[in-house]
Amino acid sequence: MIRLAPLDHKLLRDLRRMWLQIVAVGTVLGCGIALFVMATGTYGSIQRSRDQYYAAERMADLAASVVRAPESVGAQLAALPGVDAVETRVSGIALVDLPGVSEPVSARVVSLPRGREARVNDIVLHTGRLPAPERDNEIVVNEAFAERNGLGPGDTLAAVLYGRRRTLEIVGVASSPEFVFAVAPGEITPEPQRFGVFWMGREGLARAYDLDGAFNDVAIRQARDAKPRELVAAVDRLLARHGGRGAYGRDRMISAQFLEDELRSLQTMASVLPPVFLAVAVFLVNVSLSRLIATERSNIGLLKSFGYSNLAVAAHYAKFSLAFAALGTVLGVAVGQVGGDYMASIYRSVYRLPDLQFDAGPLVYAGAIGVGIAAAVLGSARAVRRAIRLPPAAALAPPAPTRFGGLGERVERAARSLDAKSRMIVRRIVRFPRRSLSTVAGIAAAIALLVTSQHFPVAMNHIVDVNFGAAQRMDVTLAFADVHDASILRDVRRLPGVLAVEPMRSAPVILSAGTRSQRDSLLGIPAGARLNRVLDGEERPVPPRADGLTIARVLARKLDVQVGDRVRVQATDGRRRSLEIPVVAIVDPFVGAPAYLELDTLNRLLQEPERVTAAYLLVDARAREAFSREVKRLPAIAGVTYADNAENTLRRLFNEGSGFFAALFVVFSSMMAAGVAFSAARVTLAEQERDLATLRVLGFRRREASYVLLGEIGALLLAAIPLGIVLGYLLTRWLMSQFATELFSFPHVLSPAAYGQSVAFVAVAVVVAALFVRRGVDRLDMVGVLKSRD
Amino acid sequence: MSLPAAAARGSVRVFHLAGVEKVYGSGEAAVHALRGLDFDVMAGELLVLLGPSGSGKSTLLNILGGLDRPTAGRALFRDLDLGAADDAAITDYRRHHVGFVFQFYNLIASLTAEENVELVTEVADDPMPAAEALGLVGLGQRRGHFPSQLSGGEQQRVAIARAIAKRPTVLLCDEPTGALDVATGVRVLESLVDVNTRLGTTTLLITHNADIARIGDRVVRFADGRIRSIESNARRVAPRELHW
Ligand SMILES: Nc1ncnc2c1ncn2[C@@H]1O[C@H](COP(=O)(O)OP(=O)(O)OP(=O)(O)O)[C@@H](O)[C@H]1O
Ligand SMILES: [Mg+2]
Repeated sequence: MIRLAPLDHKLLRDLRRMWLQIVAVGTVLGCGIALFVMATGTYGSIQRSRDQYYAAERMADLAASVVRAPESVGAQLAALPGVDAVETRVSGIALVDLPGVSEPVSARVVSLPRGREARVNDIVLHTGRLPAPERDNEIVVNEAFAERNGLGPGDTLAAVLYGRRRTLEIVGVASSPEFVFAVAPGEITPEPQRFGVFWMGREGLARAYDLDGAFNDVAIRQARDAKPRELVAAVDRLLARHGGRGAYGRDRMISAQFLEDELRSLQTMASVLPPVFLAVAVFLVNVSLSRLIATERSNIGLLKSFGYSNLAVAAHYAKFSLAFAALGTVLGVAVGQVGGDYMASIYRSVYRLPDLQFDAGPLVYAGAIGVGIAAAVLGSARAVRRAIRLPPAAALAPPAPTRFGGLGERVERAARSLDAKSRMIVRRIVRFPRRSLSTVAGIAAAIALLVTSQHFPVAMNHIVDVNFGAAQRMDVTLAFADVHDASILRDVRRLPGVLAVEPMRSAPVILSAGTRSQRDSLLGIPAGARLNRVLDGEERPVPPRADGLTIARVLARKLDVQVGDRVRVQATDGRRRSLEIPVVAIVDPFVGAPAYLELDTLNRLLQEPERVTAAYLLVDARAREAFSREVKRLPAIAGVTYADNAENTLRRLFNEGSGFFAALFVVFSSMMAAGVAFSAARVTLAEQERDLATLRVLGFRRREASYVLLGEIGALLLAAIPLGIVLGYLLTRWLMSQFATELFSFPHVLSPAAYGQSVAFVAVAVVVAALFVRRGVDRLDMVGVLKSRD
Repeated sequence: MSLPAAAARGSVRVFHLAGVEKVYGSGEAAVHALRGLDFDVMAGELLVLLGPSGSGKSTLLNILGGLDRPTAGRALFRDLDLGAADDAAITDYRRHHVGFVFQFYNLIASLTAEENVELVTEVADDPMPAAEALGLVGLGQRRGHFPSQLSGGEQQRVAIARAIAKRPTVLLCDEPTGALDVATGVRVLESLVDVNTRLGTTTLLITHNADIARIGDRVVRFADGRIRSIESNARRVAPRELHW
């Protein structure tokens, strides 16, 4: 048995007495730390496992498609300086008929090399086997598609390849770094149920596409010392005469880009919000502890009067604070680890990254623990320093209220007309401004965090609402397999139920100005477009113009151009026209639309009249079945997307992806708010305990004593609400501006509901905590309080 | 102090105690603070309670003030059974009839001297103005000061002003001079005696100081939870005549 020093006995007693308070403060700190560990750890883990996956399966750095190139070009590409490996492939789009699915399903079909692993963009076989190289009816399908449609080895499906219908047998299920997300052409979201990836033996697929001894798609891995720009130029030069459409890097590979966008929004959330949370947690711990220790001031005076040194007193309270910190950090790290594992299991299936393991890394843990301890120790240090600076006599006397200038005086004068109990409340607040302000700030911070964390789902829903409500008002989007002449629109108009058709063209181009250039899609949108409109940040439509380009601000910044500047447009497709077009408008598009102009003008400038790559339709809902049946028969169709499906997918994707993250913030900020509420109420009771007992002794009723307690908490809550709203607004705006630097702009939607809910939640938490704490008034030790000094 | 005045007051019973016991804790650890008290307190009396430390004086005062309840026996204030009445009745009793003065003053730090007094006058039936109560204890000039700006004796006098301002039926003082020097202690006692004579407030005063006992009408001596003796003073000595 260890003999404890008397001070340590006091420590243990105090800790046992304050266990609820320790839990409250520990929860707040724990939430901050858990979130920090989880968020930074999850982002880091996903990024790491993506990079490992890309490295292990040799994800392409560059890709290009051509009309038809002889196999020998592959060797020429491999010989280019800076090229590490080349895989030439045959690739195409197939329309798929799944039994029992009326809506059109399509798939990208990609060849696998014979008798070896792919040198670039290899696949990981999960079940079954690889297709026989010469067979043109055996396929391996991607995991997401197989799962969503309940398919596996042994199943068969019907597909139209290059205009010919055939029955394909699934022999295996696989995944690939190239298709972490499989996104249909012309789409912005993956819909694994309606779009799949099929891998087939090279010979078989080449035969199906009439590409024997040739390829139409190439994936390249560059050497470490490669100069990307020069390499792209060299590849383009080699492929140009075979109908090359321009090589592009990972930033234009749809899956990689999608994953990158997701990671980037996770990163922003992980790097911006958790530190804010942690900072708020630190602040709250700081406040709680310094108030708690302030209630110990007479004990500190007493200890000093006994001859304890300042150091001994400080050490005593440092230990006291460390108990709070210890609970918070242990809780935070444990919850962060468990939560991180859970997040990893969720994201393993959402992002389909094999071997995604949560591992925050020692630095994150060390940082979290350090921050937790520092928070507690610094929080107590301030209060202890104040207390030990006082001569013991002053510490033993009741705390002297601060007299402070104009406002306080005026408030006090106003309070003169109140009854003594209300005056007590006003006095306590005005005369101890530091204490009151810290409570107000704590509650306001909790409100602000809740407002901000609720903003993510609000903003995301708003994006989806506006996108599908005001911008994309079509029922169906048809993507054509190739650039088509407008005659196809006649066939489309004849499909059952079609009420309106609006064409669109997307041309792959290189935009450049001065020394800067950017590969992007130039959109041709018809004048008076109604179904697909570009909206600006204020959600106003910005129609396409015939006299020049309208470009997104992000792109304008990349090219360093202003309105009036001319941009060189090099088409990488078709006639490969090179033009100069003036910029006539710069917009903040609501959802990505990099550059566009009026459709006929675009076609005229490219000297390719009447071309379309997609069409937007209004379709009579009652004719949907018939429409689905018929549209599959159009050979030129590469993809059919129903807007309602796309909308659902987008929402689901958000809910599973960054939305899950965002939901976590809401949960944690709610817990923090509850912790703050409780700790504020409890410490107020601790500060008032003696006064309240005295009131009871003097014959005040419980109700009256409770009024003094609840009145103070209530008044501080009322003061905190507007401050919390303002703080929440500012914090949200700041956070959204952090997001705005990323590719997509996050709108700052003012959501009264989010504010209302946040305020209501925190208010209810404070009231519940106060009522809970109020029971202390019933148990006040009236006799005890008379026996002891303050 | 004139004897006739004391005699005229002594006819109405304010407190009646019969077999009052108080036991803290139970079993081995039980502490018998009071072991059966029987005596009455008459209206207008100034009763001094004397006794060694731990003999049960504060325990008794707390029971009489409605802050604690006896474990056995009956303690009546007029007709109110202090052991059996519900909490609301006891609170009302404290509110309307009892004035407390404690060794540690127990002032509210955030209120000025005057406001501390007003705290009580506000809820009393027939209070004197706070300024008047402070004047009675000689603190009329200091009423805007906070407790932290007052000396111990001054704080104690504020506490007395607070206790007398509502014109209580009984004034219960637990070692009001315990923390004070002689001169200040005399001032405080003078305030109490003054209230007792001028307002006729029944006053119970605990002290360790046998000398102080001479200011009372009767002296109750405690020992080990029992009353050892009750003596009447032939003459009440004015506080300024005391020396200790
Ligand atoms: N809450 C309590 N729990 C246990 N014992 C108690 C409690 N309060 C008082 N006692 C005990 O009851 C007895 C009487 O206490 P009381 O405070 O009445 O003494 P006192 O006569 O006022 O002494 P002093 O002159 O020192 O103030 C003492 O032995 C004390 O230890
Ligand atoms: Mg005592």
